[in-house]
Amino acid sequence: MLKLANVHTFYGNIEALSGINLEVNQGEIVCLIGNNGAGKSTTLMTISGILRPVKGEILFEGESIKNIPPHKIVEKGISQVPEGRRIFPKLTVMENLEMGAFLGKGNFDEMLKRIFTLFPVLKERQNQTGGTLSGGEQQMLAISRALMSSPKLLLLDEPSLGLAPIIVNKIFTTIKEINHEGVTILLVEQNAMAALKLSHRGYVIENGRIAFEGESKFLINNEKVRKAYLGD
Amino acid sequence: MSLLKPLIISIWFALLFLPFKGLKAALFFLIILLLTLLLFNSLFRYKNIFKDPLQKIFNLFEFNILTPLYESIYLRYVLFAALLVIPFFVKDYVLDVAILSCIYIILALGLNVVVGFAGLLNLGFVAFYAIGAYTYALLNTKLGIGFWSALPFSMLLTTIAGFLLAIPALRLRGDYLAIVTLGFGEIVRLILNNWDTLTKGPNGISGISTPVVFSFTFYKLTHFYYLLLFFVAITIFITKRVHKSRIGRAWIAIREDEIAASTIGINTTMYKLYAFAFGAFWAGLAGSIFAAKMQFVSPESFTFMESVLILCMVILGGSGSISGVIVGAFLLVLLPELLREVQLYRMLALGAGLVILMIFRPRGILGGKSASLRI
Repeated sequence: MLKLANVHTFYGNIEALSGINLEVNQGEIVCLIGNNGAGKSTTLMTISGILRPVKGEILFEGESIKNIPPHKIVEKGISQVPEGRRIFPKLTVMENLEMGAFLGKGNFDEMLKRIFTLFPVLKERQNQTGGTLSGGEQQMLAISRALMSSPKLLLLDEPSLGLAPIIVNKIFTTIKEINHEGVTILLVEQNAMAALKLSHRGYVIENGRIAFEGESKFLINNEKVRKAYLGD
Repeated sequence: MSLLKPLIISIWFALLFLPFKGLKAALFFLIILLLTLLLFNSLFRYKNIFKDPLQKIFNLFEFNILTPLYESIYLRYVLFAALLVIPFFVKDYVLDVAILSCIYIILALGLNVVVGFAGLLNLGFVAFYAIGAYTYALLNTKLGIGFWSALPFSMLLTTIAGFLLAIPALRLRGDYLAIVTLGFGEIVRLILNNWDTLTKGPNGISGISTPVVFSFTFYKLTHFYYLLLFFVAITIFITKRVHKSRIGRAWIAIREDEIAASTIGINTTMYKLYAFAFGAFWAGLAGSIFAAKMQFVSPESFTFMESVLILCMVILGGSGSISGVIVGAFLLVLLPELLREVQLYRMLALGAGLVILMIFRPRGILGGKSASLRI
């Protein structure tokens, strides 16, 4: 579904990604783990078009999306939940969701119903402004807003950031549910253990390169991965 | 806490008076002001006592006192009727002020699109006003084209100017954007001031003709008053509709968080371009009317201070709120006129008033709910 081949991305003169090769198949949950500054978020930003790769190719459903602006990429069916949630704090929950449906793809009422079954708490809070929600609720809202554009592929950037473990569990369970409904997911996480448990396959990124890859259950047992990322 | 705010305000005003009237007067003023503010404060606290009986009376007229006055539909009818009959009762001076207010209302509503809806700071808005005014002035004096035929041209030209400014400005944000727009405003003014062969430089262009409708020529203030009332109504109607449309939504998303806006599929570049052009469009209208009314334009009317004044109207009234911006524009035209009596203290009082307003209502007179989509 999504394929990155030898992708190089720069911040000015600094090379943040030096040849990323990555593939996401239809229906999968794929996680991308690694340390701070390894290039996880940069990879996502490059896929969603906010950053442009200098070299390499990005294919989505066989088409190159390398030079397409971000809003066109959303139209093609890739939605990103940005790092730090970035909900609209002064708009109500409902208005946030309406904004998510900006492209007008799919039936609004049906999608709303689906989101309120996934996150009943958002239904209760629909008239509250986004800024008054708790961190977990804001993350739920950010995911819901991204879902409103009926994506085929959902990019999640650190959904567990700054949340209590119990909330993280809840969010990860919902990610699994969203995947069951047919949305392919690429998850970027620092919380390596949780991410590997949730995902089918995983990539470990180090200094802008993929260091390990494989099925998540094997990565969990890989000695080097355990040492470096799982705290053994 | 409740004592702190009045105290700060009184001291602030007293300090402003100090250089003019000396220590004694300043102290006296401080005490008087402090007492007045405290009195108001306590009255404000007990306002709920009056609310119930008042509501009972108003219920008889199906009038809900709890909805803010400016939202009540009755008030709008009354206001509209009052505006229509005003010219029959007032002096020319009052009408002149009303006309000026209307021009500024159109300008402020235009700037509100850029600053209030899309959240882009534009310090050179007066440039579009100038382009609108000069386009009509030149078309009329050089080619003899009438107001109504020239109007579309001058609005089109200002809209294009809006696009042109937006293209380099789009890469910038916040402070940097403000500086570029500021530069644009100065460039336009300097061109008008120095291109002697076309614009007659600082002497300005005179002898511009007034609008004509079916061989009826606008020459009295009353005519201009109704003309402006008509255009203000159109401006309000259209900006309101656009604000509620898809474009308006995109602007709000960009204002609230540009990166988030692009992740939900909004073409941020395009919509920022629209905001600049659409704002400039109204400045073109206001400029053309200004030129037709004054029958004279010169670069002096389009200084940086004008840009600041229009920006003040938007911020003061409540950035993003249409009714707020109208109130802001009206007040900032009216107040200097009312304060003409006190000559020396006029700008002082105005400045101090702005400071107070920003302390009490940092989001503007009618601001606050402006973030929301439903106004």
